Amino acid sequence: MSGNYFSGLFKGVKSLLVGMGETWKELWTKKVTAEYPENRKTTLFVSDRWRATLTMPHDENNEHACTSCKVCETNCPNGTIQVIQKVIETEEGKKKKVLDRYLYDLGMCTFCNLCVLTCPSDAIVFSKDFENATFTRDRLKEQLNKEGSKLREKKKEVKPEAEKSAPEAE
Amino acid sequence: MNYSQPLELSHVTAWLDEVLRGAMPEFWALLIEYVLIGVVLLTLYAVLALILIYAERKITAFFQSRLGPNRVGKWGIVQSVADMVKILIKEIIYVKKVDKVLFYVAPFFMIVASMLTFGAIPFGQGLQVVDFNIGVFYVLAVSSLGIIGVLLAGWSSNNKYSMVGAMRSGAQFVSYELSAGLALMTMVVLSGTMQLSEIVESQRYCWNLFNGHISAVIAFVIYLISGHAETNRGPFDLPEAESELIAGYHTEYSGLQFGFFYLAEYLNMFIIAAIATTVFLGGWMPIQVKGWDTFNQIMWYIPSYLWFFAKAAVLVFISLWVRWSFPRLRIDQLLNLEWKYLLPINLVNIFVMVLLVLSGLTLTGLFPNVFGN
Amino acid sequence: MAEQIIFYILAAVIATFSIMAVSTKRIIRSATFLLFVLLSVAGLYLILGYQYLMAVQIAVYAGGIMVLFIFAILLTHKPGESAPSKPIAKRLLIALLSVGGLAFCTHIIVHNVSKVYSYSLGTTGSDIKYIGLTMMGTDKYQYLLAFEAISMLILACIIGGIMVARKRK
Repeated sequence: MSGNYFSGLFKGVKSLLVGMGETWKELWTKKVTAEYPENRKTTLFVSDRWRATLTMPHDENNEHACTSCKVCETNCPNGTIQVIQKVIETEEGKKKKVLDRYLYDLGMCTFCNLCVLTCPSDAIVFSKDFENATFTRDRLKEQLNKEGSKLREKKKEVKPEAEKSAPEAE
Repeated sequence: MNYSQPLELSHVTAWLDEVLRGAMPEFWALLIEYVLIGVVLLTLYAVLALILIYAERKITAFFQSRLGPNRVGKWGIVQSVADMVKILIKEIIYVKKVDKVLFYVAPFFMIVASMLTFGAIPFGQGLQVVDFNIGVFYVLAVSSLGIIGVLLAGWSSNNKYSMVGAMRSGAQFVSYELSAGLALMTMVVLSGTMQLSEIVESQRYCWNLFNGHISAVIAFVIYLISGHAETNRGPFDLPEAESELIAGYHTEYSGLQFGFFYLAEYLNMFIIAAIATTVFLGGWMPIQVKGWDTFNQIMWYIPSYLWFFAKAAVLVFISLWVRWSFPRLRIDQLLNLEWKYLLPINLVNIFVMVLLVLSGLTLTGLFPNVFGN
Repeated sequence: MAEQIIFYILAAVIATFSIMAVSTKRIIRSATFLLFVLLSVAGLYLILGYQYLMAVQIAVYAGGIMVLFIFAILLTHKPGESAPSKPIAKRLLIALLSVGGLAFCTHIIVHNVSKVYSYSLGTTGSDIKYIGLTMMGTDKYQYLLAFEAISMLILACIIGGIMVARKRK
């Protein structure tokens, strides 16, 4: 009985000291806190799978890939996307429907990714820019296609072949 | 041996006393001095609390590999000032069914008890407000007032969580006060006086902690444990265990009244550290070695209050270290620890100390040339 | 002069809170007011220079007895409960008794005040060393026996506490 008492006491003291040793080591480890607004450009990591807001990538000629087929609009479960078309005349004199405005309401979006999955021409993607807070709800409604942008011509997709043949010609 | 002490605050107080006594009759001079002392103590009380809160938050964060407050000011230094301003302008909410008088009085009990103890602490050479010849006993006596504040707060809140918290706190405080008292009494046996200034003076060349070796170290550890338990901080924080009791006895308090409890908690932590410093670690006395006059002179250049606060800071750090290392005790474990371990050990320990002192086996007794005053 | 002022303040506090302690209907408030009275008495001891007595007063009453009182009240009463008021006949009897007690006490104090004064002059001081020696001494007016009895009592309490704590096994 008394043996138990003292061995228990010393065991207890020893285990407490071991615990304090652990925390002492912890005191000197590198701190893991990420200081958010400052580390935006440096250590901030956002996963590639993160769906922050819908965007439509434009290339350097201010051209996008959207054919305004409205597949995204019909697939959207809660009417977040609104594709507005306009009719233009091509050089050959044909009438053609092209994208006029691509409207996206971030406030309605559930980030289900259906629009991106079903887009036949991969014209839209979810970006990683997560800082989407605004002061009014209206600001959440955005137009994704830039001013004066137009549909990327089909011939650009065959461009890689042209590049391959070019060195041979030399 | 007289050493030069250029930075000592007692020069300022002596000069002030001289000026006041020269300018007006003694009664008024004393009155002004008393008021000044009161103001200085209150300011010190508040400022210390701010520093302690900041230190606690920062050290806590480091123990959890975080950075802690780092937004308000460089390294978040002004954070606790901002928190203080917030708590000062917060509304004090009176719950409808509380016992109004007691609900209002309870926080003052806490703050007055720790203020009274605060006054008896020797902060530095000549920086002690009251120096009773029963110093240690006085400190023990007035610090026991705080528990009444806790009990009244728990009762008057008319809330079961507060009530359970207060009951737990009462049981804890009453039992651990015994250990703390006996541990201090062990040291009183060693130094042969209860007067805090004389206890400090007797540790000029050898701290009590080393002077009484085995016995003193045991008493020191027991005092730190029981003092830590008296302040209701983790791992002994079951009176305010968030997961079971919301906030324990101060659940219903808000604004400045809660601030009083908060302040008293932090200051009690400091007071425990300060008393341990005074009784075990030589108080404000700089480290000195007999015969090394140059070394002693260099040590005396560092003012005594800095020595005091540095030693106390180390003990506060240990208290935080313990707080963030161990999980919370259950109430039966808590009482087991006190009544089955600390108290019997303490009783044996005080007896061992008496034997040590009587047979001259203390360091000052064995080597009077090296350690004796 | 300062001591006089402090004495009158303390006296007023003692008188007020004594009356409040017996006149309030809530028992825990009564206990609190009693505590104020006891603390003010400790203040009186301090004015007289009996620091040891002051510390004992605070430690024993505030730290011990009042905590015990409040604990007992906490365990036996409901918050917000008031004591029922007594019938008038009973109240009159109580009033008579207390006035009688007051008269008796006043009589004793007034007739013995000179004696008490000479007693207090007789003590050589309230120095802790003197008190300690008196406590441990075996001469006339020294208290070794009482001290031993008290320590035995405390030891018995501790052993009892340990026994209660060990019972579960």
